Amino acid sequence: MKRFVYINDDEASKELCCDNRISNTKYNLWNFFPKNLLEQFSRFMNQYFLLIACLQLWSLITPVNPASTWGPLIFIFAVSASKEAWDDYHRYLSDKKANEREVWIVKHGIKKHIQAQDIQVGNIVWLRENDEVPCDLVLLGTSDPQGVCYVETAALDGETDLKTRVIPSACVGIDLELLHKMKGVIECPIPDKDIRRFDANMRLFPPFIDNDVCSLTIKNTLLQSCYLRNTEWACGVSVYTGNQTKLGMCRGVAEPKLTAMDAMIDKLTGAIFVFQIVVVLVLGVAGNVWKDTEARKQWYVQYPEEAPWYELLVIPLRFELLCSIMIPISIKVSLDLVKGLYAKFIEWDVEMVDQETGTASYAANTAISEDLGQVEYILTDKTGTLTDNKMIFRRCCIGGIFYGNENGDALKDTQLLDAITSGSTDVIRFLTVMAICNTVIPVRSKAGEIIYKAQSQDEDALVAAAAKLHMVFVGKNANRLELMFNGVMIRYEVLEILEFTSDRKRMSVVVRDCQNGKIILLSKGADESILPSACAGQQTRTIAEAVEHYAQLGLRTLCLAWRELEEDEYLEWSVKFKEASSVLVDREWRIAEVCQRLEHDLYILGVTAIEDRLQDGVPETIETLRKAGINFWMLTGDKQNTAIQIALSCNFISPEPKGQLLLIDGKSEEDVSRSLERVLLTMRTTTSEPKDVAFVVDGWALEIALKHHRKDFVELAILSRTAICCRVTPSQKAQLVEILKSCDYRTLAIGDGGNDVRMIQQADIGVGISGREGLQAARAADYSIGRFRFLKRLILVHGRYSYNRTAFLSQYSFYKSLLICFIQIFFSFISGVSGTSLFNSVSLMAYNVFYTSVPVLVSVIDKDLSETTVMQHPQILFYCQAGRLLNPSTFAGWFGRSLFHAIVVFVITIHAYAYEKSEMEELGMVALSGCIWLQAFVVAQETNSFTVLQHLSIWGNLVGFYVINFLFSAIPSSGMYTIMFRLCSQPSYWITMFLIVGAGMGPIFALKYYRYTYRPSKINILQQAERMGGPILTLGNIETQPRTIIEKDVSPISIMSTQPKNRSPVYEPLLSESPNAIRRSFGPGTPFEFFQSQSRLSSSSGYTRNCKDN
Amino acid sequence: MSSNTASSSAGSGDSSAARKNSKRPKYSKFTQQELPACKPILTPGWVISTFLIVSVIFIPLGVISLFASQDVVEIVDRYDNDCIPAPARTNKVAFIQGDSPKACNRTLTVTKRMKQPIYVYYQLDNFYQNHRRYVKSRSDSQLRSPKFENQISACKPEDDVGGQPIVPCGLIAWSLFNDTYTLSRNNTPLAVNKKGIAWKSDKEHKFGNKVFPKNFQKGNLTGGATLNPDIPLSEQEDLIVWMRTAALPTFRKLYGKIETDLENGDTIQVTLQNNYNTYSFSGKKKLVLSTTSWLGGKNDFLGIAYLTVGGICFFLALAFTIMYLVKPRRLGDPSYLSWNRNPGGGR
Repeated sequence: MKRFVYINDDEASKELCCDNRISNTKYNLWNFFPKNLLEQFSRFMNQYFLLIACLQLWSLITPVNPASTWGPLIFIFAVSASKEAWDDYHRYLSDKKANEREVWIVKHGIKKHIQAQDIQVGNIVWLRENDEVPCDLVLLGTSDPQGVCYVETAALDGETDLKTRVIPSACVGIDLELLHKMKGVIECPIPDKDIRRFDANMRLFPPFIDNDVCSLTIKNTLLQSCYLRNTEWACGVSVYTGNQTKLGMCRGVAEPKLTAMDAMIDKLTGAIFVFQIVVVLVLGVAGNVWKDTEARKQWYVQYPEEAPWYELLVIPLRFELLCSIMIPISIKVSLDLVKGLYAKFIEWDVEMVDQETGTASYAANTAISEDLGQVEYILTDKTGTLTDNKMIFRRCCIGGIFYGNENGDALKDTQLLDAITSGSTDVIRFLTVMAICNTVIPVRSKAGEIIYKAQSQDEDALVAAAAKLHMVFVGKNANRLELMFNGVMIRYEVLEILEFTSDRKRMSVVVRDCQNGKIILLSKGADESILPSACAGQQTRTIAEAVEHYAQLGLRTLCLAWRELEEDEYLEWSVKFKEASSVLVDREWRIAEVCQRLEHDLYILGVTAIEDRLQDGVPETIETLRKAGINFWMLTGDKQNTAIQIALSCNFISPEPKGQLLLIDGKSEEDVSRSLERVLLTMRTTTSEPKDVAFVVDGWALEIALKHHRKDFVELAILSRTAICCRVTPSQKAQLVEILKSCDYRTLAIGDGGNDVRMIQQADIGVGISGREGLQAARAADYSIGRFRFLKRLILVHGRYSYNRTAFLSQYSFYKSLLICFIQIFFSFISGVSGTSLFNSVSLMAYNVFYTSVPVLVSVIDKDLSETTVMQHPQILFYCQAGRLLNPSTFAGWFGRSLFHAIVVFVITIHAYAYEKSEMEELGMVALSGCIWLQAFVVAQETNSFTVLQHLSIWGNLVGFYVINFLFSAIPSSGMYTIMFRLCSQPSYWITMFLIVGAGMGPIFALKYYRYTYRPSKINILQQAERMGGPILTLGNIETQPRTIIEKDVSPISIMSTQPKNRSPVYEPLLSESPNAIRRSFGPGTPFEFFQSQSRLSSSSGYTRNCKDN
Repeated sequence: MSSNTASSSAGSGDSSAARKNSKRPKYSKFTQQELPACKPILTPGWVISTFLIVSVIFIPLGVISLFASQDVVEIVDRYDNDCIPAPARTNKVAFIQGDSPKACNRTLTVTKRMKQPIYVYYQLDNFYQNHRRYVKSRSDSQLRSPKFENQISACKPEDDVGGQPIVPCGLIAWSLFNDTYTLSRNNTPLAVNKKGIAWKSDKEHKFGNKVFPKNFQKGNLTGGATLNPDIPLSEQEDLIVWMRTAALPTFRKLYGKIETDLENGDTIQVTLQNNYNTYSFSGKKKLVLSTTSWLGGKNDFLGIAYLTVGGICFFLALAFTIMYLVKPRRLGDPSYLSWNRNPGGGR
């Protein structure tokens, strides 16, 4: 499908007829109510409450005033509807702002000022510096004579560096005045969401260059929401408008995520619902039987002889209404409220603020904090997540000579500096490639410094390093590059750029040396993509060894190469390249093929090694979380060796003899299947041993394993606590998440780059690191944090507390609802099973909404264990992971407790208030006060730490109960007029209350004490230890001490600094260079080929940064 | 050389500096969840003393309650069966619905001195005033003011007679208790004060002094007592008492007050009109004379319950003490933590 855009021609473009109105709103004024209601009623709970509320309108069966259900129901609906409306209104406002922005366009040959929403496809739009691009444009002209302009694409992909955009070749040299009158046609694909691709063609009409089809790429476009920078003006023709722009198409609503806890609560609600139906059926039948046998004799009830057809239904329905409070209507509101607060606590946490940038953590999804406490698997990206993504050029190998091996910094290697001064050809060429084989833009700041705007951190590191080695990339002026070498200006003219793609894994530039006119091809790329193209005579062995050596140190490597081209060869090739660049179908592949024809017989100059430092606290975080029973998988696009080294240095895998690495590899299906089986076999036998077994798999083998041996792989996934997946693509990352999810594991995915977005969205919890690679991952994520080490706190502190608090809150909500419901059920046995409510409507409504919900809400600041204790004993997270605090058996406990309390309240009330005191209103209030007193004590007993707020809410609520009831008792028209005053003046009322509390709490308190002391859970033990200030602290110290020693030794963080000689002994032998040493790690019966063929196995080089772009 | 100053993308640098001020969360004890908290733990000492204290409070309270209840003198006389002449006892319902004379004489003996005021109650057993059909069959607004005379929708089936609203409407009023008692002591009439038996608030606010009975008991079914149509509802105290529905199927309602002391050995003759039909549902009718204490009428339940709970608490305190002495357990011993015993535990 294609679309034809006629430039500057209103008539011809009419058929496309879309203006540039952006609309992100979900509702409009008219459909808000129906649509929102429909949405809310798609939830089962809401349907249930609506049904109950409707039934209550039938006065024959309603035991209480319908307001007691309608009130809360409408309240709840109003709350969520207004929240939606508020959000939508803000979306509307921001849309409106964008729509009404004024822009300059050309209409009928005249420049006009119109609102952004009136832009039509085919209009020519003019932009000035720092303007936001209103729709997707194809560049036609810029202020720059070479037709270059710079854009900031942060809003689109989160990358903060400037990107260059150029005008199509056909438009070069068109006069400013002529631009107004330009006519032509652009043939482009129908709107899609790929922001890195735009394969189109343009043909200009006479008087412009006739019939010359000019190919367009993404480099010729200005996409909506980007900003024009460093360019005075630019103009372009709009091709996609409104919601059809690339940005508009990218927008999508992520599926709402449901926590495991919500699922459990739903399950329990379902169980309660079934229980309720059973109760209703039993009581309904009993009621009808009693009616026919007894009630007919009770003349004062006057049961009619003739009954309407629905007579049999009346009593069951009455009980249905009476029991409807079993499912607490307040639970959804309470949960939403506390979940919002959990999210706020995460955002407020000053210990999770990145000190460097001042970025606080952010919870985009406020509904899933509990899941953080139940994480079982963490899938993490490597670059930028575990590491800093701060690339530093450390070592290099030029022509077989290693630089930087002694002090770990090639920039200070005197040998290299000498070589530069002496002007060794290889070294100078090497530096030239470092400096100009890239897409970096040098920008001179006002202070005169040169700032490099690089899309990739690797390129940035190389250019900066070259500058330090006296090869300064000074300026880029259209196609002219200026290099300053030792004070001498060298100029190059860029002829072509053969761009990086993740398939080619290399990039090249063709430049002409302006001094001697020679045409040179400069290439850099992964070893496996460069080395095969080496010229016949060259020995690549030393290069391969260097690559291997660097990779084992955890460095990212790039091979640099060089070739002089003949003029003819270049010209011939250049035609083909142009041809390939204008193909609409499979353009990328065709270009790759053409590039291949030029990139051969390369002279390999050497290898660069770039260090990517580990982030602070990564090893400790991983160790703590692993102790907490969380399994780690590392998914990276990096090469295998680098990944393993990083994994070792951050405690990801344990070195021998504690750990064992198993490799799944192979190029063919059989190979993979064989090695998968072998690994599985080893896994099964070693699971009993306390040994850390990890498997390593690369993208290729993973692809085959997932395709043909999914079952085996899933089993492997279940058996293995640790896995390293290298060279994996974004979609494979998402697939791995899906596999773990399908095994019912709670997964957390953490990443920082655009390539992690799919994994982050797929996982139960997505965490984004708001790092250097832009905010793309952080935007898609549920939580964004500044540093990896905050993950520890996010899970152990926030996740755990959230889980504990919600566990208490939800079960307590059921407890209090069941309590009052059981009393109603008991009462029905002494009221002729007729479905009379003991409590009046006001009490019933206020019970759920006020009396019982306030104290429990304060449980959001309850802490069972202090943060330090949890950090010292991360194993305690197991209680959350295994769902020990909210499951059917704990729920049964609460169910039993409410039954017991209902019996206590009911029996004591009807006996203490018997005979002459058995007035209905009074009895109801006595029973209700009994419930309130009990619930206050239950909350108090379940609270682990009392702050002022807790005391205030628990006891204040009790006082509030009396205040509210005194108020109602003062209103003559209310049913309970004077009741509360009468009761409170009776000694027997207070005596009854104390009795209820004593009888209700005594056994529960005793049971709790018994469990706490004689059958303590781990949480109890830690509580005791923590509060007695006893031995636990010394234990913690013992635990941390040896680790700090190791830390000093490894001086972690930088792998670079761990020289082979002073490496900590624990890291033997996996770190040792000899492949044989590694082979020892596998038992004698398992002769795995592990590292020996790594250069062929691993393919993605230190170039991952660029892979992410794709 | 200028090259030394080359640095990487500066865009993030200044933008993050701007963010620094706006994004950094405010520090407060609440937002950091660090409010000073008291974290009690259940040490044996605390728990045992709590139980001891509870038992020390509850047992005396139970004794006091029991004494209060024992102080109350109560005479209960069940008359529903005896007040039907022997021949009619085969079909009691027919007798009570018939026109034969319903007068009946009962003699009660005072076994212990009763100090005034002595309350006269009637007690009904197995009478469901709390039945769903019954309890809702009333119109409070109608009782309060003549303006709302026609608000009778809740009163079915006793709502109107031939289109005219019944005042007071509904099953409760319709089934008003209509046995009457005339008491005499040692053959001298004993005054039973029927004033002031209803709640003051009911008389003043719930039953209007301008609302007069209308069309009451005029329907084709006659329920209980009739009302004098010339006395406003606020003065019809029997009705007001009756309309305070009981929550239990066994209940007592105040009939009147005797404002003289009764001595030990006094005999009290009761002449009663046995009008009310409890026979069709085999309910009992009892006449109760009772004094009162600070805790109310005669009711041993509270005392016994207090003694039981207090006893149990004492027993628990004792049991926990013994357990503590026999099998002491160190609280918070880290050796109980399974992961300290075998590494990698938890799963």
